[in-house]
Amino acid sequence: MDSKGSSQKGSRLLLLLVVSNLLLCQGVVSTPVCPNGPGNCQVSLRDLFDRAVMVSHYIHDLSSEMFNEFDKRYAQGKGFITMALNSCHTSSLPTPEDKEQAQQTHHEVLMSLILGLLRSWNDPLYHLVTEVRGMKGAPDAILSRAIEIEEENKRLLEGMEMIFGQVIPGAKETEPYPVWSGLPSLQTKDEDARYSAFYNLLHCLRRDSSKIDTYLKLLNCRIIYNNNC
Amino acid sequence: MKENAASRVVFILLLFLSVSLLNGQSPPEKPKLVKCRSPGKETFTCWWEPGADGGLPTNYTLTYHKEGETLIHECPDYKTGGPNSCYFSKKHTSIWKMYVITVNAINQMGISSSDPLYVDVTYIVEPEPPANLTLELKHPEDRKPYLWIKWSPPTMTDVKSGWFIIQYEIRLKPEKATDWETHFTPKQTQLKIFNLYPGQKYLVQIRCKPDHGYWSEWSPESSIQIPNDFPVKDTSMWIFVAILSAVICLIMVWAVALKGYSMVTCILPPVPGPKIKGFDVHLLEKGKSEELLRALESQDFPPTSDCEDLLMEFIEVDDCEDQQLMPRPSKEHTEQGVKPMHLDLDSDSGRGSCDSPSLLSEKCDEPQAHPSKFHTPEGPEKLENPETNLTCLQAPQSTSGEGKIPYFLANGPKSSTWPFPQPPSLYSPRYSYHNIADVCELALGMAGTTATSLDQTDQHALKASKTIETGREGKATKQRESEGCSSKPDQDTVWPRPQDKTPLISAKPLEYVEIHKVSQDGVLALFPKQNEKFGAPEASKEYSKVSRVTDSNILVLVPDPQAQNLTLLEEPAKKAPPALP
Repeated sequence: MDSKGSSQKGSRLLLLLVVSNLLLCQGVVSTPVCPNGPGNCQVSLRDLFDRAVMVSHYIHDLSSEMFNEFDKRYAQGKGFITMALNSCHTSSLPTPEDKEQAQQTHHEVLMSLILGLLRSWNDPLYHLVTEVRGMKGAPDAILSRAIEIEEENKRLLEGMEMIFGQVIPGAKETEPYPVWSGLPSLQTKDEDARYSAFYNLLHCLRRDSSKIDTYLKLLNCRIIYNNNC
Repeated sequence: MKENAASRVVFILLLFLSVSLLNGQSPPEKPKLVKCRSPGKETFTCWWEPGADGGLPTNYTLTYHKEGETLIHECPDYKTGGPNSCYFSKKHTSIWKMYVITVNAINQMGISSSDPLYVDVTYIVEPEPPANLTLELKHPEDRKPYLWIKWSPPTMTDVKSGWFIIQYEIRLKPEKATDWETHFTPKQTQLKIFNLYPGQKYLVQIRCKPDHGYWSEWSPESSIQIPNDFPVKDTSMWIFVAILSAVICLIMVWAVALKGYSMVTCILPPVPGPKIKGFDVHLLEKGKSEELLRALESQDFPPTSDCEDLLMEFIEVDDCEDQQLMPRPSKEHTEQGVKPMHLDLDSDSGRGSCDSPSLLSEKCDEPQAHPSKFHTPEGPEKLENPETNLTCLQAPQSTSGEGKIPYFLANGPKSSTWPFPQPPSLYSPRYSYHNIADVCELALGMAGTTATSLDQTDQHALKASKTIETGREGKATKQRESEGCSSKPDQDTVWPRPQDKTPLISAKPLEYVEIHKVSQDGVLALFPKQNEKFGAPEASKEYSKVSRVTDSNILVLVPDPQAQNLTLLEEPAKKAPPALP
């Protein structure tokens, strides 16, 4: 008797699970092309790219505004720019420098470069927020943008990992990324040195966000629209 | 001497300098780099502003070095960009790299260098205005006409590969207007404009912007003349129509609000409720039932003499164990509009009894079924009102055969309340007592003191019943019955006799007395039933009068002296006396 009851219970539970699955799956968006299996296959590649392009565009806008704000307030007539040359920690990445180079780069390479850039900026963005908060008289315009950029960066990284999984199935993402080590200079007591460090960081952030944005838009047109944007 | 030489040299030098200064020759002033621009993120051009040239012909050179390189390059192209410019071709352009650019002014007197300019091509993008701006007026059928504006992306921008992302802005205005109407398009290279004023000349301009960069200059003005007969949707007419309809709606709403109820009732008339003609609710509320009923009376109810003629009722008088005289409804009769009643048959007497509850209720409800002048039955309680002339006497009910309720009117010649005859099929064949003679015996047994009256009653009852048979046999049986009836103490002997001698009778259907009419004072007007079988031409009418009702609910009939039939009287009278004690 017990076994009968338990088997009935089990079958009922199974039926319930199946029904609930079916009901939940009603809300899934569009039809995926899913070589990777059912893991991340709920959004189409086109939608993923659209979203990623939007986020990267937004991050670059924020970075530019933040840099301009800082420059206007703290860097006038200081000549920080001279010190900013060759100061980006991501310069070791072999990113294409013009259109021809970019067009000749395979999309796998481009995507792994994007991922490397995104990953290498996680840590600096976190410290940037912390340090800007502690900065004397830091305007809210800079701080709020820094917080926003940090959040969006994480989101973009997630999206890019999904895209990577769909476009290059089975590839392992074990590429090393450059590590930022500029924290001590952000925390130095010398105000000029500290501001110079901030300037460098913001300058590099603006540039790298532009790279990511450009590469993504290029990939979007290449993969989704077949070079016919 | 030496001192003189030195001072002379200094003097000459000073003279020379002053002479040269007076001539306007000097090293050039520092030039100034104005701006650098990239039209498509693939090349860029820098422009500078020369300073004073110092009076001597001055050459300008532009030198630069890239971020991360130490090698200094000179400008590759001074001509493409125009005077005082340097054009960097694709080969020499790198994105995301800082260029440190310097302009040098050189003349005979010296060299002057400008301040370095740090340039990242990414942030100096400014495209050319869009090209090939065309304007076209379109008149498609079944659709509104419009102005179709088309253009193409600016030169030197690679939009297809996605390297350059671009957005457009178009503005137009009538020639004489001051304000521009602007439209923004994120990607497409065409635009349709509706709602143009005919007879006007429109000016159109366009510009564009990269995703991150500067707006281009406005394109040169393009103009187009809208012809005078250009059909344009007239919105003023629609506005007029809208206002008119709104006014009409308001009027309707106002009218409905004012006469809301009457209109509603006009459209949706209320369902008529039941109504009794002549019935005044207020009288009922006051509790004056007499007036109320009189009002009802006046409504041409009950039926008049016509109905009396139609009223054909039979009273079945028979004896039973209970020794009660029971009026019985006649078997056959259908009054106009009167419906037959169904008698319940008791188990005790084998007769339908008037006191059975269902029957009583039926009879009480009967006026409802009657197609009377009443519009609505007001309820059973009303029927029990003795003044309404529709009464069901509520006699005490008993389970046994005793206490059978005689069903008769309290007052008034209301024929409708008479018990309706029931169809013959309902009669039980169990009837063993089916003539008045037997009943007479019962009556004799019951009321000894009223023997005389009973005798008379008997006689008359006999007379009444006799009419069923016109043959002698019938009479004979009746005589016998009367004999049996008159011998009061010989009940035992009486009993079997009618039974012995009434085979015919038993075979016959029940004898009935027809109730001709009921007069005002409760007189039952009976007359013999006409038996068509025997071809009875008997048309004589006999009447019996109900003298009273005894306690045990016995109808005591008395002879009506007015309507006696002497011939009928004689025969039983002859034979009756010997039987009488």
